[in-house]
Amino acid sequence: MLRALGAIFMSLAALVVALPILIVCSAALNGGRTMFFPPQDPTLARFGEFFVSEPVWTRALTNSVIVAVGAATLSVLLAWPIAYRLWKTGSRASTMLATLGSIPFAVPPIVFGVGLGFFWAFLGGLGTIWAGIISHAVLFLALPLVTISIGLQAIDRAHLDAAATMGATESVTFRTIVMPQTLPYTVSGFFFALVLSFNEFIVMFFVSASSFATVTLQIFNSLRNGYTPTMAVAAVAFIAVSIAVFSAVARWGDLPRLMGADQSRN
Amino acid sequence: MTATDDTAAWPRETAAAAPGTKGPRAGRSALAVQVVLWATVLVFCLVPLFLVLVISFGHKIEGAGWEWALTLENYQRFFVGANWPAESTSLYLGQLYWSMRYAVVAALLAVVTALPFTYLMTRQSRRAQAVWLVFLLATLSLSEVFIVMGWDIILSNNSGLPMLFAATGLTDWLKDTGWFDVLRDWGLANPRNVKFKPSEVATVLTLSYLVWPYAVILLYPALSRLDPSLAEAARTMGARPWTVARTVILPSVRLPLIGTTLLLFVFLLGAYVAITVFADPSQHTTAVSVYEHVRGSTLNAPFGAAQSVILLVTATAFLVLGQWLTRKSPRAA
Repeated sequence: MLRALGAIFMSLAALVVALPILIVCSAALNGGRTMFFPPQDPTLARFGEFFVSEPVWTRALTNSVIVAVGAATLSVLLAWPIAYRLWKTGSRASTMLATLGSIPFAVPPIVFGVGLGFFWAFLGGLGTIWAGIISHAVLFLALPLVTISIGLQAIDRAHLDAAATMGATESVTFRTIVMPQTLPYTVSGFFFALVLSFNEFIVMFFVSASSFATVTLQIFNSLRNGYTPTMAVAAVAFIAVSIAVFSAVARWGDLPRLMGADQSRN
Repeated sequence: MTATDDTAAWPRETAAAAPGTKGPRAGRSALAVQVVLWATVLVFCLVPLFLVLVISFGHKIEGAGWEWALTLENYQRFFVGANWPAESTSLYLGQLYWSMRYAVVAALLAVVTALPFTYLMTRQSRRAQAVWLVFLLATLSLSEVFIVMGWDIILSNNSGLPMLFAATGLTDWLKDTGWFDVLRDWGLANPRNVKFKPSEVATVLTLSYLVWPYAVILLYPALSRLDPSLAEAARTMGARPWTVARTVILPSVRLPLIGTTLLLFVFLLGAYVAITVFADPSQHTTAVSVYEHVRGSTLNAPFGAAQSVILLVTATAFLVLGQWLTRKSPRAA
């Protein structure tokens, strides 16, 4: 009885969570220029528009990809030495540095966005795509920091002991034990940052100063003119990327562990 | 968990022994790396926030930009209006009130519904949990603009629910039973049919939806570490399920529960798209006002910055309050 109630509750929750997404996705099939639900005159032509023929959308998509890949790479490169130092020394200074690096992710995004808008205006980078890349790298630095730290703590102590006994130097240990064992966690951090950067828009809005648009920005800008099925295609593409990425993390990494599950129970 | 703690402690011992074996050059380059890291983090993470603080004391020049200054006029405008003491306005305080109201209600709604869900999820197999996590992470990372778009289609007057209500005769049924007038009192109906846009209900629901996956992810570690034998023991001793939930499960996740609510609250303070689409303009929030002043029609960067600072102070105040609450109360087992 109670079990059945629980199952009903969970399916209901899943349904509510999926509902708006399903509706947006089905709206992508509309043949006309307006969003209808259920879709009228279903067609896949909108997908062609989004990925191939409409320059507004293909340009936005290219910008999104450039910013997301650039920002995720940069944030992983910055997070690695910080997380490694924290794990290695555990000193107060390294804890402090990691905390400071997580601040942008913790404050309301609109506040950090406003700040970055001023920041780049002074440096003269406002509206350039590299300013967008750096901004997102800083904003999402906390994600690879956390996943890499979790990975470093998961390294088997016996391996480090063995390496030390056999006289391995720090760099050799790093190359042969630390790097390979933390690789899944590094990749997870990269993908978390990638997906969130892909979907972020308010910080990008202040940094881009309307001189370039990512997909989310482009959709936000056209919100006032009403929705078109092409926007729904963007939503389909984005959710597909997210599901692919997180499935990959779950497949090759340890997703429950990354999310903080108890290790002793399986 | 002890194994993990040992591994974490191990490298520290070697680190303490290592410096003597390193050459001076290695030490110098390590130092250089440290300096670069600190400089990068300080410049990119803290300077933007520092700029917001400094510019909030700036002065707006009529018909032009703004200049550096050390004036409190922006804060004065926020709390009592620009023309105080001749006249005063609580417009901006009202916006802050709406920010907090939406954030509190939506955060509580999300946590209350996410708690039983997360508990049930952690009782499933590890594989099933991974599937749920993929699903939740995918919806969590989906941009606010897409989610608002979806709810907008569901709730807007020409399509979605209101149309469904009229088509299925639910509207007529509501009118017959008198519930329609109640809905009108709540602002959820116009003379002809139900309407959800603009309304506070739609705003809160969308905001709550936005943070719901976060709530699950944040509650997940605590609930998955919950020892099932405790609940089982209580069950064997004849406690009813509701009693178990109230006396065993709830007390042991009280701290993560408070922490999650606070984090969701802070996150929601900055929500923007959902508010502009679903809330009535008279019920807009500080975040919307920040946006209008920094990038919108009014262009008053110092005032926008001042409002950002106030938003940040509000968020910090709630976090500190939460810390204080959790520290004051006896520690949960």
